[in-house]
Parts: sequence; C-alpha cells; structure tokens
Amino acid sequence: MTDLLRAPAEVKYAEELDWLESIDDGAKPFSWRLSPKMVRLFVLGSEPSDGLDREIPQKWFGDRSFVERSIVTLASDRGLLLIGDPGTGKSWLAELLAAAICRNSTLVVQGTAGTTEDHIKYSWNVSMVIAKGQSRESLIPSPIMTAMEQGVVGRFEELTRSTSDVQDALISILSEKYVSIPELDDDNIVFAKPGFSIIATANSRDRGVNDLSSALKRRFNFVRIPVVTSKRSEAEIVRFRTEELLRRHRIELDVPPTLLDILLQSFADLRAAAASAASDDEKLESALSTAEQIGVLEDAILHSHFFGDRTLRAGTLAGSLVGSLARRSPEDLAILNKYWHGVVEPRSKKDGGDWQDFLEGGREAIATLS
Amino acid sequence: MSTFEALRRQLGDAAAAFAGDSVSAILTGMVDDVDRALSEKLEIFPVCHHSPASALAMVRRLREKQPKVIYLELCEDLGPLLTELRNCRLPVALQAFATELDGFPPAWGPLSVVAPITEASAEYQAIAYALETPGVELVLVDRSSDHVFQSHGPEEAADSPEEPPREGAGLHGDAVGIEIGDLRPRFAELEEHLLHHGKVRHWSEWWDQYVEQPLAGADYDTYRQVMVLIGSLFRRLDPGDGDRLARDEDRERHMWTRMREHLAASGADPADCLYVCGAFHAASRVEQFGLDAAAPYEIAPPTGTRWLYGLIPSSHSAIETQFGLAPGSVSIAAATWSKAVGRNGLTPFQLAGQKGTRKRAAKLPPPAPPAPPSDRLSGYLSAPPPLDGLDEEELRGWCVDIVRLARRNGYLASTADAIAVFETSILLAAMRNRPRPTPYDFQDAAVTCIEKDVVPGRRDVRRLCEILLGGDRVGTVGYDALPPLARDVFDRLRPLGVDLEKRTIQRALLDLNADPDLAACSNLLWMLRYLLPADAVRPIMGERRLGERSIQESWDVAIGRHQRSIIELGYEGVTVEQVLEQRLRASVWDQKATAATALAAVEDAILYLGSRRFADELGARAVELLAAERTVDDAPEVLRRIRRLLAYFRANEPELPAWCESFVTAGYAHYCTLLPTAFVDDDTGVRQVGAMLGFLFTMESLAMALGCDRAQLEIAVQQSHPESPAKVALLWAARNQLGLLPLAELRARCDELLANPLVVPSFPLYVTGFVQAMELAPGLSGFVVEVVSKAFGRLPDRVLLPWLPKLVTTLRAQAGELMPVLVREAGRTYPGSLPALDAWTPPWERRAAAPRPKASASAAGPVTELLVAHPAACDAVAELLGCDGQWQAPQPSAHGAAEVLLAGHPETAAAVAVLLA
Repeated sequence: MTDLLRAPAEVKYAEELDWLESIDDGAKPFSWRLSPKMVRLFVLGSEPSDGLDREIPQKWFGDRSFVERSIVTLASDRGLLLIGDPGTGKSWLAELLAAAICRNSTLVVQGTAGTTEDHIKYSWNVSMVIAKGQSRESLIPSPIMTAMEQGVVGRFEELTRSTSDVQDALISILSEKYVSIPELDDDNIVFAKPGFSIIATANSRDRGVNDLSSALKRRFNFVRIPVVTSKRSEAEIVRFRTEELLRRHRIELDVPPTLLDILLQSFADLRAAAASAASDDEKLESALSTAEQIGVLEDAILHSHFFGDRTLRAGTLAGSLVGSLARRSPEDLAILNKYWHGVVEPRSKKDGGDWQDFLEGGREAIATLS
Repeated sequence: MSTFEALRRQLGDAAAAFAGDSVSAILTGMVDDVDRALSEKLEIFPVCHHSPASALAMVRRLREKQPKVIYLELCEDLGPLLTELRNCRLPVALQAFATELDGFPPAWGPLSVVAPITEASAEYQAIAYALETPGVELVLVDRSSDHVFQSHGPEEAADSPEEPPREGAGLHGDAVGIEIGDLRPRFAELEEHLLHHGKVRHWSEWWDQYVEQPLAGADYDTYRQVMVLIGSLFRRLDPGDGDRLARDEDRERHMWTRMREHLAASGADPADCLYVCGAFHAASRVEQFGLDAAAPYEIAPPTGTRWLYGLIPSSHSAIETQFGLAPGSVSIAAATWSKAVGRNGLTPFQLAGQKGTRKRAAKLPPPAPPAPPSDRLSGYLSAPPPLDGLDEEELRGWCVDIVRLARRNGYLASTADAIAVFETSILLAAMRNRPRPTPYDFQDAAVTCIEKDVVPGRRDVRRLCEILLGGDRVGTVGYDALPPLARDVFDRLRPLGVDLEKRTIQRALLDLNADPDLAACSNLLWMLRYLLPADAVRPIMGERRLGERSIQESWDVAIGRHQRSIIELGYEGVTVEQVLEQRLRASVWDQKATAATALAAVEDAILYLGSRRFADELGARAVELLAAERTVDDAPEVLRRIRRLLAYFRANEPELPAWCESFVTAGYAHYCTLLPTAFVDDDTGVRQVGAMLGFLFTMESLAMALGCDRAQLEIAVQQSHPESPAKVALLWAARNQLGLLPLAELRARCDELLANPLVVPSFPLYVTGFVQAMELAPGLSGFVVEVVSKAFGRLPDRVLLPWLPKLVTTLRAQAGELMPVLVREAGRTYPGSLPALDAWTPPWERRAAAPRPKASASAAGPVTELLVAHPAACDAVAELLGCDGQWQAPQPSAHGAAEVLLAGHPETAAAVAVLLA
C-alpha cells in the first residue's frame, strides 16, 4: 500500500511486475521490460494452464485480441490509438500497457482545446533563459520528448480534443522519431531511443470535433474498444474496480452480490430505454457507461461508510443512482420516475428482497430532488 | 489385449490424479469408443463438414482401399440427384421440396431441405469416386427428407443463428440445412473453454489450429482415431437436453439398419465397404451399432407428402450463415484444400464434366492390403499440434493484395501498410504461439493496421480479408440439371440473346414493332416478373396494363442470380403458364381471399395469360366472394378494379362477360344492403363508405339495365343516419345525387356550419367527407372546390393548420382517383394569372351578389325562327302536355353589331360564299 491517493499502475503493481520480469524468458523488443506475452499476462491475468507459481489477477476486462493487437502495435513502428465510447477503459488499458512495457505510465499529455505544440515538444524556463540564454538546461521537455529520450512509452489522452495543428506536431515525431530544437546551435536534435512509442486515446463521441488528418491516421494503428455488453464481464469490471476503490479508501465493507445484480440490471434497463428513445429528451444525459456504474457504487459505499451503519443497503444504492444520473431537471428526473414506477415497482413486487428497499430509496431520492 | 490398453491406463491414472471418477469414466469411455469404432467389421470413415483434412484423408483412403460399396450419411431420397452434380459448378445444394403436404400440419408448408456440397469436402470425394469408378455402388443411408420433418417441425429443424445478412448469404432461403459431419461442442461452456484456452476467437479457428492442421498430413490411422476421439468427446460431454441426442441416435439406428439391409440384399463383402459418417456418429453407442448387432429398429413409413427434388445454387457464405460458421471459414477451408492438394501431390476425384474444375482424376493404383490399426492417439494427445513453418511468400502476397483491395474499396492504404500488416501478422502469431500466421492472425493484423475510425466503403477490412482469402464462391446449376420449367424458360428467352447463366444484371432490349416474334419473350418476362423476386427481371421501359401494349421494352435480367427461385418455381409445374394459373387459382380459393383479390387475379389472368375462359372462371369466383363478404374494407379496391375491368371489356369485347354483369348486380344489392350499417359503424372508414356509394352511383345505369331497382338505393340512403361529420357530408352528397337535397340547400348547410363557432372545429371533417364524395358524384367537384376554398378562407388557423397535413395525405393516398377531378375543377374556378387574381370574385359569391338575369325564353336565333315559322308541331306537343302557352314576337337579333358590320362590308362574306359554292 502506498501513501498516494491513486498510485500509477507501475507503482501499484510494482511487486507483481518485478516478479513477472524475474521469470520472463521471452524475447523482449527494444528496451521493453517484459516480453509481449508477459505484458498480455499482466493485463489479462493468468490462468492455471499458464503454469505460474502465483496468480496474476486480471486488470483489464475485454476481448483478448484487443490487448494482443495493442501490444504488437507498440512493438511495431506505429503509434497506438485506442478509440471508443467514454467509460470503456481505454485510458486504463493505456496505463497498464505503459506500466508493463516500461514501468512508467506517467508521461502523459492531456489533449484539450488549450493544448499547444509546446506541450508536445518542449518549452523554455523563461527565467533561466534570461539568466543563461537558451540551452539544454533551460529547456523544459514535454512528456513525449522525455519518452523519446528515455525510449519509453508516452501517452496522449483525448487526442481528438486538441486542435489540428497540435495533432500535426505528432506526425514528425511518429515518422522521423526526433524533435529538432532550432533555437539551439549545438545539440539541437533529440532522437528517440528504441522502445519509444505513443499510446493515444480518443473518444468516439468526439468525432468531428477535431478530426485527425489522414497523415496522422496513417501513423497510428486504431484499436476500437467497444462498450461492454456482456453482463458477466461488466460485473467483473465493477467488482474489480470497486475493490480497488475500497482498498484506496481503506474501507472494510462488503458489496453483496444481490446489490451488484440490482445495479447491473438497472443500468441494463436504462440503456435499453435509452436505445429505444425517440429523442434526446427521452433519454438520460448520462452515457450509462461501466465507469458510471462504478461511480454510483463508489458513492453508495462512501455514503454507507461515513453516514450509514457501514453496511451497503439497496436504499442507499438507489439514492446514489438517482443522485448520479439525475443531471437535468425535470427531464432526467421524469425518466427516472417513470423507470422507478414502471420497472422497479413491478420487479420489487415480483422478486421482493432488496428490490423493495431499492424501490423505497429511489422514490425518496426522486422526491427529494423534485 | 486391446490396441489402446496403454493409453487407457495412462488416461485413467491421469484422471485419478487430477480429477474424480466421472472424468475417468469419460476419458476411458472415449478410448473405448475409438476402440469399438476401429474394430467394427464395416470400416467407418469419420468426417467433419467442410474439413480439408477429411477430404484429403478420404482421397488417400479411397485410393488405398478402393471400396466397392460406399455408405454415405446423406438423406436416402436425395440419391438420384447426385449424378446431376456433373452439370453444376460447385457449391450447389441438393434440395428436397414439398408444397402439397399430407401428414404434416399445412402451416408448415412449403417444406424444404438442402444439403450443400462443396468441392473441399470428404463427401464430394466419395461421391465423385463412386460415380466415376465402374462397379462401385453409392448408398445413401440417412433418414429421408420426410423423416427429417417427422421428428421435428420446420422451426425446430432450422436452428440457424440470427446474424446480419451478408452478400450472397440468402441463397438457401429458409430451408432446413442438412450437413454431413456436424462436429461441434454441444454446450456453450465447453466451446467457450476450448476457445479460451486455445487463445482463439471462434470455433472454426480452434478447429483449424488443433485438428485441421495436425491432421492435414497425418496418416489414415491417426486421422481416424483422432476424429472418432473428438466425436466421442463431444458426445460424452453432451449437455443431455434430450431431443437433439435422441434425434441423432434415431438417425444412427436408421443408418445401421439400412446398411444391414443393403448388405443382406446385395451380399456385398463388408471388407469392400466404407461407411462415411460424421465423427459424432462414429462414436455412437446405440444398440444397433455394428453389423453384428441384432437389436431391431423399425423405420417409420413416410407420410403421403409429395417430395420434389432438385439442385439449387449455393455459396460459401450461405453455408456459413446456415450452419453458424465463422464468416469466411468455408472459403478459407476451400483455399486450404487447394493448397494441400498441390503440396501433397494428390489427385482428387472429380466428376466427369464438372464445371469449374481443372482436370479429371488419374487412374487408380492397385489397392493396398489392409494393415492392423496401431495406437496413434497417444502421440497426438501428448504433443502440441505440429504447425507449419512461416510461408513468407504467401504472407507477403496476402499483405500486398489486401492493401490493393483496401485501396480499391476507398481506404487510404499504402505500401507502408503492407509492411506493417506483414510485421504485425508475425508478431501476433508469435504471441499466440504459432510459428506461422494463420489467416485469422493475418485478418487481425490487417484490421489493426488498415482499419481507421470509419469504413469508407461498403466493406470493412475484415470482409475484404475474407474475400482475399478465398472469397465467396457461388455455385451454379447447369442447364441439364435444371427442372423442365427452368429449361423451358431458358429456351424461350434465347431470342433475347442474353446469357441467362451469368450472375450479372444484363439489359435486354425488345423492339416489338420491328420484331414481333419477341412478343412471346416479352410475355414470358412479364410472367416471370409476377412470379420471381422483384429484381430477377425488372422492366426499365414498358409497362403492362389493361388495354395497353408496349411498342418497345427494356429489361434488366438477372435470372442467373436468382437460379434458386426459378428452380423452386420448377417444383410447382412444368411451364410458367401452368404455375401462374395454379397460383392465381390458389389465390382466389384461399381462405382469406376477398372479392378484391379475385378481381386482381382476373386482371392478372387477362394481362399475363390472355385467357378469357380462365378470367371468366376467376370472375365467377369474385361474384361469390363479394356476395359472401360481410365487411366493406376492400370497397375502394373493388371499385377501382371493377371500373378498370369494365372499361377494358367495353373497349375490347363485343359484350360484357356474364360474370361482370352478375358482379355489378350482386354488388349493387350487396352494397345497398350494407350501406346503412357502414354509415354508422365506427370501424368502417369514410373512404370505404365513399367507395360503396361510388360503386352504387357510378354503376347505377348498368345495374338498372340489368334489372336492379333504384328504390333499393333510395331506401338504403334514407335508412342511413351517420353521426360522424365526414359520413354526414357523404350522406348529404348522396342525397344531393339522388335529387333529395338541392345544391342550394347543401351550400346553405355548409355556410351554417362555418357560421357556428361550436361546429367550426369539426368542419374539416365535413370537408374530408365532401372530398370523398367526388368518388360518387364527379359533378359535385365544383362544390367541393367551393367548400375547400371556404374552409381555407374562413377557418381559423388553429383549426385549419392541424388539418392541412391530413388533407394532403388523404389526397396523396387517393391521388389517382381524386386529384385529376379536383385539379381540373380548381383550374376552371381560379384565375390562371396573377393579375387576374386581384379582380377575381369566386363564382359562388358572384352568384350571390348579382343573380344572373333569367334567360329569355324568347331568344332569337335560327331555332326560334324555325319554330315561329312552323308553329304547328309545337302547338300539338303543348296541347298534348296540357300547356297553355302564347307565341311571343321574336326579339331582334342579339348579334346586331355583327350584322351591321357585315352589311357595311359585304365583300368578305360574298368571297367566302363564292369559295364555298
């Protein structure tokens, strides 16, 4: 356990990575710390048939081929672009891959409308430039440039949120693999060391905001991460992430499987309702992603822990669900009200149990917000 | 001691060490199954469908053994079709088809069973060997098509998965698929487990890696033992849902019974026979298994259903869709087969004259002596699958081709992508423990490197890979293997000069004036248009309507693409005319037939068959149907069709057919009877009532001539008391038409409605009724224009605007009938130019503002002059009628100015008179 609020994957799983590195006898591309098969094992977890002495837990849940395709892309000459809907685990996969490959997942550029070329290449320490002039000492390398110098993986989050000219700065980095610093007379080129690569993520809902140029697309391999539709996988993800959160908050609290089922079922119902809605007013503003489910559960757990009797109850979960999903008043509240009376109520009569409590809690929360 | 004793012991020990007794029983049971199958007197050849390894092993075994009798797991009634395979380009499917059901619920019909045959299959090799080698008998031993449906219904039998349709995937229609050697885990968990641990995505990929590749070059013993072992594994790990296994066991009993019967009857030596069946059946444990088994089994007699047989074209994608295989797997199997045949230097068996194949099989070597089986399973189970090494040349070819194909499909792919795909394929294969990238690795690599955020064209990279790795192959059925109807169609369409076997769309031009002989082709094309799916033959120019004839026609002909449809048409009759006649007759005698459908059938009979006798027969049925109808839902359709038919007969025949007369009189009485109910019935729409009244009024003169009485209609109208505004308007129109409600009063009523604010919201409904009334009283169209104009002018926006879309949709739905009348009347009423609009006063207001002076009874003119000159006749008529009239002095001519002009300038008139003289 570290004393960081959220430790990066390489810190959090340091011991596991060390162990994997110690037993890894596979061929490692460039300066990779683990072989591709070990990277896959780290991300997807081990199985008894792997014949390992200890169990490696699964950290990312999704199709095996996505992970394999991502890993081989990083071993090739191209950058990796993970594209998908919000909450599908793109950034988490990127972090895990970077941690497994080079033990450094923190060389991240966050793409925003305000991201400039300086954030990708380098900038200057102005006071030092005034004092000593432009030199390598007064240069502030960007995370990408640092990744190049060290031969590790750099990450670019939300690539399509940054403007086209900023995106285009990546083209030369991905092709020529060096950055020139024309302000300097000597030592004015930073070459990438073997092992350098870029993992970018892009939100498919942002398509059209700042479309990638064809030149940049060519330099990236696209791996599309779909929304998790399998209820079993989704349950796994929610359980895994929740346990992590509980550990982080140092909370001892059990999440009963029945409540998890209720949460998954509610989201599945609400997604089905959103899919059949005719207009935006008839569906919730929330994307109803897996990440959102985790958010609801986290909220309920924290609420139960600090304000309840340290037991997660269906009523609290319902309150958190309503609180998290009701963003617009009255549209979202009306949809939730309809859902509660049209779906939850009959279900509570039929199945009873926690659904009854869930019904009451939800009603109360809706009444409070209305 | 058994051959497999050592293995049995080894597996038993392993099970004891790692699991319990149940696992031990399964493992040793599997070895028992293999042992039993191999020690059977009749040699069992286990196969898996679409498996190149099975086909290769079959080629080798047939060459070695050269059996005299081959028993094949295929519906026994499909046997006679096999020789027709010679005339086809594979893949094609053997089809059994039944429409006349006897012994099955009628709702199941039509029943259809298809058994697709591909070149890369063991069964094709067996068929080709048996048919091409003299003295070899091929015996099909599986249950007949009839038995397939006896054990389960069509829904149950067709358990094909629901997948989005792909190109060429619908060639089998909704037939039930039969395939030899269905070998797949029967419960999802086992398949999931195998896929998960095999690190593959779908079953075809698993099969390819763990069975297909290791067995492709294996010797016969290994092949046979491994296949039976897999069959046994899936059989023993069956979830036990009962039905499916019970069906399979029934089939096994059937097959073994048939084989024993055949051996007994023919006296063949079992050592010269080969039984080709799915590996699942090879591991059978039914008591009838084996030639020495004595357990009886009674084969149920077939039902009375008449089955028809034929060949239909099939395709790789149709097979994949029907049997739930991964997209592209059959194509990949075909490509693997071609490569393996070349690499192993084998000469596969081929049917003589088979289209699309390269050469005939070489002569057979002398048969090899039988060798005792030895244990090959231990080796197979203890070592990882030996996989081929990297074939760089092949992979490079794929990479270059996929980039070329992607570029052609709109992707911005370049040589750099080809290099990336090559590298990624090798890296992916290495990650998956394969020395050589499989087609599936290559596909993943291509998707990774070429697919971006959007698919630019119709096909994505995954689909392009499937096309590249074999592509979909579509078979064709040769002319000689076609049913008589299809051959007849091909013969009759020959003058068009298009190749009907081609799968492209071809354009045929018919100049019927220049070449009257083409009229027969045109007629046939119209019939095919009626019978086949919409895009099989499609007219581009020319149409066929009652009383019209095209001078030139142009057709898009794609019969090659719809071979299945035309072959299935062949099951219904010998000629297209016969099928059409049957269909039309069936449509009018159907339980759900209505008068409208019968009239449509009459129209079609005249249009396509030109048979007056047949049309009369259908027409007589239409009269019966009309008289028996209790609803008037179809009244608009009936009215439209009977009007068209009457117009046609009046124009083309010396007199109306008897059924037409009966139809009009029956319709008059029928609609008069139903009119009062229809007016008040909420379920009957205003359009229907309008059409009824339209029938009654527009057919009135004919009905009167045929002996109907108008009083019936008058009474019916008097009995009608509608409540809904639209129907009230219709009733008013009807009363006006009958002379019971003058137009002035009708207008006054409308004005009252518009003046009453309480009724104004429902005024549009009245207008709707009046619009419908044009159907029955075209003379009322002027009034309808007036009402609509008033509605537009005086209705408040809140009433008018919501109603307008309804009016537009009504007029649009009935554009053919209502619009011409309305537009013509509106054109007459409204001014034609913009300036004239300013000074325009609506005719109805003009009438109200300045009533026209009464026309003078004593108008001047030649008629008046004649009458004045000869008053005797008029006086006599007046006296007869009892009129007291006085002769008035003739008025001076109204054309005074003209007379003055003519008198002033007589030259012109004189010149005209000279000219006319």
